[in-house]
Amino acid sequence: MKSQRIPVALKIKQLVTIIIVGFIVIWFLAPLVLITISAFASPSDYYQIEKVIPTHFTLNQFKSLFFGLEAWKAILNSIKVAGLTMLLSFIIGLPAGYALSRYIFSGKNFLKLLCLATKMFPLMVLAVPLLIIFMKMGVSDTIWGASLAHTAMVLPIIILIFSSILSGVSMDYEEAAMIFGLSRIHAFFRITLPLALPGLAASAIFAFVLSWNEVFVATILTLTNRTLPAHILKTAMASPDYLKFTAGFIMAVPAMVFIFFVRKHLVTMWGISLK
Amino acid sequence: MVKVRLEGLKKYFDKVKAVNDIDLEIIPGEFVVLLGPSGCGKTTLLRCISGLERVTEGKIFFDNDNITYLSPKDRNISMVFQNYAVWPHMTVKDNIAFPLRIKKYSQHQIQEKVIWVANLLGIDNLLDRYPAQLSGGQRQRVAVARAIVMEPRVLLMDEPLSNLDALLRVRMRAEIKKLQEKLKVTTIYVTHDQVEAMTMGDRIAVLEQGIIQQFGSSDEIYHNPVNTFVAGFIGSPQMNFIEVEIVHKNEIFYLMTKGLEVPLLDILKDKVFKLSDKRNYILGVRPEHIYAAGSVQTDKVVTTKGKVYFAELLRSDTVIHLEKEFGLLVIKTPGDLKIEEGKELEVLIDLSRIHLFEKDTRKAIF
Repeated sequence: MKSQRIPVALKIKQLVTIIIVGFIVIWFLAPLVLITISAFASPSDYYQIEKVIPTHFTLNQFKSLFFGLEAWKAILNSIKVAGLTMLLSFIIGLPAGYALSRYIFSGKNFLKLLCLATKMFPLMVLAVPLLIIFMKMGVSDTIWGASLAHTAMVLPIIILIFSSILSGVSMDYEEAAMIFGLSRIHAFFRITLPLALPGLAASAIFAFVLSWNEVFVATILTLTNRTLPAHILKTAMASPDYLKFTAGFIMAVPAMVFIFFVRKHLVTMWGISLK
Repeated sequence: MVKVRLEGLKKYFDKVKAVNDIDLEIIPGEFVVLLGPSGCGKTTLLRCISGLERVTEGKIFFDNDNITYLSPKDRNISMVFQNYAVWPHMTVKDNIAFPLRIKKYSQHQIQEKVIWVANLLGIDNLLDRYPAQLSGGQRQRVAVARAIVMEPRVLLMDEPLSNLDALLRVRMRAEIKKLQEKLKVTTIYVTHDQVEAMTMGDRIAVLEQGIIQQFGSSDEIYHNPVNTFVAGFIGSPQMNFIEVEIVHKNEIFYLMTKGLEVPLLDILKDKVFKLSDKRNYILGVRPEHIYAAGSVQTDKVVTTKGKVYFAELLRSDTVIHLEKEFGLLVIKTPGDLKIEEGKELEVLIDLSRIHLFEKDTRKAIF
């Protein structure tokens, strides 16, 4: 009798699991579906309350956002800022990560804690003082200003992640390269870096996406050269509702696409061990 | 083939004296083993010779060149790591060719040398594979191939066999030794396994706490250990150490303790003549130099009896733990001898094979 009871208990467990997971999935997907449908819905259909699912779709909203409100400029700015952020955090983060992973020195733990500590600071609080400093430096309302702020936001995490990834690449490989004819730096670029690349690439794209999505600081630091989130905040928010959905869609999709492609790398990155 | 000389070498990590004043001279083409327990400084010493670790004090010479402060790549050495360190993102062929490519050998020369060394190590059929597709033993051969392909001045090996299974280890011991004899490259080999050391080393440096305890051939180390550490580290099961007093009776010197009276052979008389009879000494005798009664024909023995506390029946040998007044006496006898636990056993100690050590300094008297 017992052998028959177990499968039933298992099936109930499976059912419950499916129901719970199903709820979670719907919870997350529903807004995305809503945004997507509404983004393409024609205004007339959108305002007809009886029509839950619109039947007429149009690309007019996109056209007006892109060109009329010059969203394409903002997208370009976002790309530049995010790209620069990725580059700067890579250039600074890589040596820092290497130092933290390979060397033992006094103050090492303090530095690591400092990286974490900076994340405890709400970036919004710094945004206005930062604007004043940037004005004095002459980089306010430029790609550089926004990139510097975003790099500061992203760098602490990147340093910690890089040091963790580089620690996963055994020192032995580097040392063997050093024995067989390479200097330490050379060994790093030819042996360690290729081995760490998947994880590093995923982190770099992670930095890109963080910068892409950042709204507050970008809004404050840019005026004429707005990044996309800042642009949307100012323009689309003042527009009719249906345009807001279109704007939301434009914002969400690139990030979603990026993450979709690198999610495999992001997952392996956290559990990577390259022995 | 170069001569390697270490002068007053010291490596300190803050307060830890990993290598504490080492002088060593290695003959060209010699196979020297650095032997010792974990933490004795042997790996640190090897890393100092390789340049991966910077020395705190002292000098290292290859022939007459002072290479103490040269970076590893300029020393013209190669190394086989304990975990092989075979680069996973390169094929076996690229791994082996790497040192040659860096040194800018011609494509033709590289091809020739890679094939030569691959044949030498029996991995010529694996050249296009990636390390992940190889077994541990194969990866180890790749590491060795990579190390010898550039014909280094000095070959360094850091416990290369410790990650292999027992059978493979025995085979690789012979292969590596044969290889070294053929290539005649000065080799420094680190291990904690005394069997590896004894079978492979031309000379063995026994290390403990950053100091060389003894440097000599396997013969010297086995038959003439300079202190109790070396005597106890070499040989399995470990040498028996018994605290004794020196007593002069009827023109003969005896080493005595409760339950044991060992007369000294005439030739050893001079060595103990000047020794005080007040301080205690340590008698050392290896288990293989104590025989079961009736199994040997020699008069240079002393008899002692005890109850068999425990018998390890290895079948190839039998290791007997004999209960004595001073503790357990360990004896190694041929495996086909019938031994019964709990019964009294009479054994014979070979008087020509005993050692005497000072109790406080642990140094050997003979």
